[in-house]
Amino acid sequence: MKGIIFAFLGGAFITLQGVANSRISQGIGTWQAAALTQFTGFVAALIVLLAMRDVNWQGFKQVKPLYLSAGAYAAVIIFSNVTAIQHVGVTLTVALVIIAQLALTFLMDHYGWFGLQKKRMRLPQFIGLVMMIAGVVILKF
Amino acid sequence: MILGIVLALLAGSLVSLQNIFNNKVNVHVGSWTTTTIVLGLGFAASFTLGLIFEGTEMFNLHHMKTWNMFSGLIGVGVVTCMVQGINRLGPTFAVSISMCAQLGFALLFDSMGWLGLEKVDFTLKQLIGVLVVVGGIVVFKLGGREKKRMTNEHGLAASSIE
Repeated sequence: MKGIIFAFLGGAFITLQGVANSRISQGIGTWQAAALTQFTGFVAALIVLLAMRDVNWQGFKQVKPLYLSAGAYAAVIIFSNVTAIQHVGVTLTVALVIIAQLALTFLMDHYGWFGLQKKRMRLPQFIGLVMMIAGVVILKF
Repeated sequence: MILGIVLALLAGSLVSLQNIFNNKVNVHVGSWTTTTIVLGLGFAASFTLGLIFEGTEMFNLHHMKTWNMFSGLIGVGVVTCMVQGINRLGPTFAVSISMCAQLGFALLFDSMGWLGLEKVDFTLKQLIGVLVVVGGIVVFKLGGREKKRMTNEHGLAASSIE
Protein backbone atom coordinates (compact mmCIF):
# COMPACT_ATOMS: atom_id res chain seq x y z
CA MET A 1 0.00 0.00 0.00
CA LYS A 2 2.83 2.37 0.89
CA GLY A 3 4.45 1.59 -2.46
CA ILE A 4 1.26 2.55 -4.30
CA ILE A 5 1.10 5.88 -2.45
CA PHE A 6 4.73 6.64 -3.25
CA ALA A 7 4.32 5.80 -6.94
CA PHE A 8 1.10 7.83 -7.09
CA LEU A 9 2.75 10.85 -5.45
CA GLY A 10 5.74 10.44 -7.77
CA GLY A 11 3.39 10.79 -10.74
CA ALA A 12 1.66 13.79 -9.18
CA PHE A 13 5.03 15.49 -8.64
CA ILE A 14 6.11 14.82 -12.25
CA THR A 15 3.02 16.63 -13.56
CA LEU A 16 3.36 19.40 -10.97
CA GLN A 17 6.98 19.87 -12.05
CA GLY A 18 5.96 20.41 -15.68
CA VAL A 19 3.22 22.84 -14.75
CA ALA A 20 5.47 24.77 -12.32
CA ASN A 21 8.23 25.02 -14.94
CA SER A 22 5.72 26.29 -17.43
CA ARG A 23 4.46 28.92 -14.96
CA ILE A 24 7.98 30.09 -14.08
CA SER A 25 8.83 30.32 -17.78
CA GLN A 26 6.07 32.86 -18.28
CA GLY A 27 7.84 35.16 -15.85
CA ILE A 28 11.54 34.76 -16.55
CA GLY A 29 11.85 32.76 -19.78
CA THR A 30 12.13 29.05 -20.51
CA TRP A 31 15.92 28.55 -20.40
CA GLN A 32 16.07 30.62 -17.22
CA ALA A 33 13.36 28.46 -15.65
CA ALA A 34 15.13 25.25 -16.67
CA ALA A 35 18.45 26.47 -15.27
CA LEU A 36 16.90 27.79 -12.04
CA THR A 37 14.85 24.73 -11.12
CA GLN A 38 17.68 22.34 -11.86
CA PHE A 39 20.12 24.42 -9.88
CA THR A 40 17.87 24.25 -6.81
CA GLY A 41 17.31 20.55 -7.35
CA PHE A 42 21.05 20.01 -7.75
CA VAL A 43 21.87 21.79 -4.49
CA ALA A 44 19.15 19.84 -2.64
CA ALA A 45 20.30 16.49 -4.05
CA LEU A 46 23.90 17.34 -3.19
CA ILE A 47 22.91 18.05 0.42
CA VAL A 48 21.04 14.73 0.64
CA LEU A 49 24.01 12.95 -0.93
CA LEU A 50 26.51 14.45 1.48
CA ALA A 51 24.23 13.73 4.43
CA MET A 52 23.89 10.11 3.38
CA ARG A 53 27.61 9.76 2.70
CA ASP A 54 27.12 7.19 -0.01
CA VAL A 55 29.31 8.57 -2.78
CA ASN A 56 31.00 5.73 -4.60
CA TRP A 57 33.92 7.24 -6.51
CA GLN A 58 35.23 3.86 -7.61
CA GLY A 59 31.96 3.18 -9.40
CA PHE A 60 32.51 6.07 -11.82
CA LYS A 61 35.37 4.27 -13.55
CA GLN A 62 32.92 1.63 -14.73
CA VAL A 63 30.46 4.08 -16.26
CA LYS A 64 30.68 4.99 -19.95
CA PRO A 65 30.82 8.77 -20.60
CA LEU A 66 27.82 8.48 -22.95
CA TYR A 67 25.68 7.26 -20.08
CA LEU A 68 26.91 10.03 -17.78
CA SER A 69 25.90 12.64 -20.37
CA ALA A 70 22.20 11.86 -20.01
CA GLY A 71 21.68 14.59 -17.43
CA ALA A 72 22.32 17.23 -20.06
CA TYR A 73 19.29 16.08 -22.09
CA ALA A 74 17.11 17.59 -19.40
CA ALA A 75 17.73 21.05 -20.87
CA VAL A 76 15.99 20.03 -24.10
CA ILE A 77 13.40 17.94 -22.24
CA ILE A 78 12.32 20.84 -20.02
CA PHE A 79 12.34 23.33 -22.90
CA SER A 80 10.21 21.03 -25.08
CA ASN A 81 7.88 20.07 -22.26
CA VAL A 82 7.22 23.68 -21.23
CA THR A 83 6.71 24.83 -24.82
CA ALA A 84 4.36 21.90 -25.49
CA ILE A 85 2.31 22.64 -22.36
CA GLN A 86 1.96 26.26 -23.46
CA HIS A 87 0.83 25.18 -26.94
CA VAL A 88 -1.41 22.15 -26.39
CA GLY A 89 -2.16 22.02 -22.65
CA VAL A 90 -1.03 19.73 -19.84
CA THR A 91 -3.18 16.66 -20.55
CA LEU A 92 -2.19 16.22 -24.19
CA THR A 93 1.47 16.98 -23.45
CA VAL A 94 1.64 14.40 -20.64
CA ALA A 95 -0.12 11.79 -22.78
CA LEU A 96 2.27 12.33 -25.72
CA VAL A 97 5.37 12.31 -23.50
CA ILE A 98 4.26 8.97 -22.04
CA ILE A 99 3.52 7.47 -25.46
CA ALA A 100 6.90 8.50 -26.95
CA GLN A 101 8.64 7.26 -23.83
CA LEU A 102 7.00 3.82 -23.85
CA ALA A 103 7.33 3.41 -27.62
CA LEU A 104 11.05 4.22 -27.71
CA THR A 105 11.83 2.15 -24.63
CA PHE A 106 10.03 -0.71 -26.24
CA LEU A 107 12.01 -0.34 -29.45
CA MET A 108 15.27 -0.27 -27.51
CA ASP A 109 14.26 -3.37 -25.57
CA HIS A 110 13.17 -5.14 -28.73
CA TYR A 111 16.47 -4.62 -30.53
CA GLY A 112 18.59 -4.78 -27.40
CA TRP A 113 20.20 -1.38 -27.99
CA PHE A 114 22.71 -0.03 -25.46
CA GLY A 115 23.38 -3.49 -24.14
CA LEU A 116 19.82 -3.99 -22.95
CA GLN A 117 18.63 -7.53 -22.70
CA LYS A 118 16.47 -8.22 -25.75
CA LYS A 119 12.76 -8.49 -25.12
CA ARG A 120 10.33 -9.42 -27.88
CA MET A 121 7.31 -7.33 -28.78
CA ARG A 122 4.13 -9.11 -27.91
CA LEU A 123 0.53 -8.46 -28.83
CA PRO A 124 -0.45 -6.71 -25.54
CA GLN A 125 2.23 -4.06 -26.07
CA PHE A 126 0.97 -3.32 -29.59
CA ILE A 127 -2.62 -3.15 -28.38
CA GLY A 128 -1.54 -0.90 -25.50
CA LEU A 129 0.22 1.55 -27.84
CA VAL A 130 -2.76 1.62 -30.23
CA MET A 131 -5.09 2.33 -27.28
CA MET A 132 -2.86 5.16 -26.03
CA ILE A 133 -2.78 6.77 -29.47
CA ALA A 134 -6.55 6.32 -29.82
CA GLY A 135 -6.94 8.05 -26.44
CA VAL A 136 -4.91 11.02 -27.66
CA VAL A 137 -7.01 11.25 -30.81
CA ILE A 138 -10.17 11.27 -28.67
CA LEU A 139 -8.63 13.94 -26.42
CA LYS A 140 -7.83 16.28 -29.24
CA PHE A 141 -10.17 15.74 -32.17
CA MET B 1 -0.45 22.79 -32.44
CA ILE B 2 1.86 20.59 -34.54
CA LEU B 3 4.85 22.23 -32.81
CA GLY B 4 3.46 21.32 -29.39
CA ILE B 5 2.86 17.71 -30.45
CA VAL B 6 6.34 17.32 -31.97
CA LEU B 7 8.05 18.85 -28.93
CA ALA B 8 6.10 16.64 -26.52
CA LEU B 9 7.13 13.54 -28.51
CA LEU B 10 10.74 14.76 -28.53
CA ALA B 11 10.64 15.26 -24.77
CA GLY B 12 9.24 11.75 -24.23
CA SER B 13 11.89 10.16 -26.45
CA LEU B 14 14.69 11.93 -24.61
CA VAL B 15 13.16 10.93 -21.26
CA SER B 16 13.31 7.26 -22.25
CA LEU B 17 16.95 7.54 -23.34
CA GLN B 18 17.76 9.43 -20.17
CA ASN B 19 16.09 6.81 -18.00
CA ILE B 20 18.05 3.98 -19.56
CA PHE B 21 21.37 5.82 -19.35
CA ASN B 22 20.71 7.04 -15.80
CA ASN B 23 19.85 3.53 -14.78
CA LYS B 24 23.24 2.35 -16.04
CA VAL B 25 24.99 5.06 -14.02
CA ASN B 26 22.80 4.25 -11.04
CA VAL B 27 23.92 0.61 -10.96
CA HIS B 28 27.49 1.71 -10.33
CA VAL B 29 27.22 4.84 -8.19
CA GLY B 30 23.85 4.73 -6.40
CA SER B 31 20.68 6.79 -6.79
CA TRP B 32 21.57 10.02 -4.99
CA THR B 33 24.94 10.38 -6.70
CA THR B 34 23.17 9.80 -10.03
CA THR B 35 20.45 12.33 -9.21
CA THR B 36 23.04 14.93 -8.22
CA ILE B 37 25.01 14.46 -11.45
CA VAL B 38 21.87 14.46 -13.58
CA LEU B 39 20.59 17.73 -12.09
CA GLY B 40 24.03 19.33 -12.14
CA LEU B 41 24.54 18.52 -15.82
CA GLY B 42 20.98 19.57 -16.62
CA PHE B 43 21.66 22.93 -15.01
CA ALA B 44 24.95 23.36 -16.89
CA ALA B 45 23.33 22.47 -20.22
CA SER B 46 20.29 24.74 -19.69
CA PHE B 47 22.51 27.62 -18.63
CA THR B 48 24.79 27.19 -21.65
CA LEU B 49 21.93 26.90 -24.15
CA GLY B 50 20.26 29.90 -22.51
CA LEU B 51 23.42 31.97 -22.91
CA ILE B 52 23.67 30.94 -26.56
CA PHE B 53 20.05 31.75 -27.41
CA GLU B 54 19.35 34.66 -25.08
CA GLY B 55 22.73 36.14 -24.16
CA THR B 56 22.68 38.40 -21.12
CA GLU B 57 18.89 38.03 -20.87
CA MET B 58 19.81 34.89 -18.91
CA PHE B 59 20.65 37.11 -15.94
CA ASN B 60 17.48 39.15 -16.11
CA LEU B 61 15.45 37.64 -13.31
CA HIS B 62 13.33 40.66 -12.36
CA HIS B 63 10.10 38.75 -12.71
CA MET B 64 11.24 35.89 -10.57
CA LYS B 65 9.02 35.11 -7.58
CA THR B 66 10.36 33.66 -4.35
CA TRP B 67 8.56 30.32 -4.77
CA ASN B 68 10.28 29.85 -8.12
CA MET B 69 13.54 29.20 -6.32
CA PHE B 70 12.06 26.27 -4.44
CA SER B 71 10.29 24.55 -7.31
CA GLY B 72 13.44 22.52 -8.02
CA LEU B 73 12.71 20.66 -4.80
CA ILE B 74 9.78 18.98 -6.58
CA GLY B 75 12.44 16.99 -8.45
CA VAL B 76 13.80 15.66 -5.18
CA GLY B 77 10.24 14.59 -4.32
CA VAL B 78 9.97 12.81 -7.67
CA VAL B 79 13.17 10.83 -7.12
CA THR B 80 12.35 9.93 -3.50
CA CYS B 81 8.84 8.74 -4.33
CA MET B 82 9.84 6.78 -7.42
CA VAL B 83 12.78 5.07 -5.74
CA GLN B 84 10.56 4.10 -2.79
CA GLY B 85 7.71 3.03 -5.04
CA ILE B 86 9.97 0.90 -7.25
CA ASN B 87 11.69 -0.71 -4.28
CA ARG B 88 8.34 -1.74 -2.86
CA LEU B 89 6.40 -2.66 -6.02
CA GLY B 90 9.00 -3.27 -8.71
CA PRO B 91 9.36 -1.04 -11.79
CA THR B 92 6.38 -2.31 -13.79
CA PHE B 93 3.69 -1.56 -11.22
CA ALA B 94 5.31 1.56 -9.83
CA VAL B 95 5.78 3.14 -13.26
CA SER B 96 2.25 2.19 -14.37
CA ILE B 97 0.73 3.81 -11.30
CA SER B 98 2.95 6.87 -11.70
CA MET B 99 1.96 7.33 -15.35
CA CYS B 100 -1.74 7.04 -14.57
CA ALA B 101 -1.34 9.57 -11.76
CA GLN B 102 0.53 11.91 -14.13
CA LEU B 103 -2.41 11.85 -16.54
CA GLY B 104 -5.02 12.23 -13.82
CA PHE B 105 -3.29 15.26 -12.37
CA ALA B 106 -2.72 16.69 -15.85
CA LEU B 107 -6.46 16.60 -16.46
CA LEU B 108 -7.06 18.16 -13.05
CA PHE B 109 -4.59 21.00 -13.70
CA ASP B 110 -6.06 21.70 -17.15
CA SER B 111 -9.66 21.75 -15.97
CA MET B 112 -8.99 23.83 -12.87
CA GLY B 113 -6.62 26.23 -14.62
CA TRP B 114 -4.30 26.12 -11.60
CA LEU B 115 -1.00 28.03 -11.55
CA GLY B 116 -2.10 30.45 -14.23
CA LEU B 117 -2.76 27.82 -16.86
CA GLU B 118 -5.28 28.57 -19.54
CA LYS B 119 -8.36 26.76 -18.31
CA VAL B 120 -9.49 23.89 -20.52
CA ASP B 121 -13.11 23.00 -19.80
CA PHE B 122 -13.55 19.51 -18.47
CA THR B 123 -15.61 17.48 -20.91
CA LEU B 124 -16.76 13.88 -21.17
CA LYS B 125 -14.63 13.55 -24.30
CA GLN B 126 -11.50 14.43 -22.32
CA LEU B 127 -12.34 12.02 -19.55
CA ILE B 128 -12.86 9.20 -22.06
CA GLY B 129 -9.62 10.11 -23.85
CA VAL B 130 -7.62 9.96 -20.62
CA LEU B 131 -9.28 6.70 -19.57
CA VAL B 132 -8.44 5.10 -22.93
CA VAL B 133 -4.79 6.21 -22.58
CA VAL B 134 -4.72 4.84 -19.01
CA GLY B 135 -6.19 1.57 -20.28
CA GLY B 136 -3.45 1.47 -22.93
CA ILE B 137 -0.74 1.98 -20.30
CA VAL B 138 -2.16 -0.84 -18.19
CA VAL B 139 -2.39 -3.25 -21.16
CA PHE B 140 1.11 -2.26 -22.32
CA LYS B 141 2.71 -2.62 -18.92
CA LEU B 142 0.90 -5.59 -17.47
CA GLY B 143 0.26 -7.54 -20.67
CA GLY B 144 2.29 -10.76 -20.88
CA ARG B 145 5.94 -10.21 -21.64
CA GLU B 146 9.23 -11.94 -21.23
CA LYS B 147 11.11 -11.61 -17.99
CA LYS B 148 12.07 -8.04 -17.19
CA ARG B 149 15.72 -7.17 -17.23
CA MET B 150 17.26 -7.09 -13.81
CA THR B 151 16.71 -3.96 -11.83
CA ASN B 152 19.36 -2.88 -9.44
CA GLU B 153 18.89 -2.74 -5.72
CA HIS B 154 18.64 1.03 -5.58
CA GLY B 155 15.70 1.30 -7.94
CA LEU B 156 15.79 4.04 -10.55
CA ALA B 157 17.57 7.34 -10.45
CA ALA B 158 15.18 9.61 -12.26
CA SER B 159 11.48 9.43 -12.93
CA SER B 160 9.59 6.91 -15.00
CA ILE B 161 10.32 3.80 -16.92
CA GLU B 162 11.67 0.43 -15.91
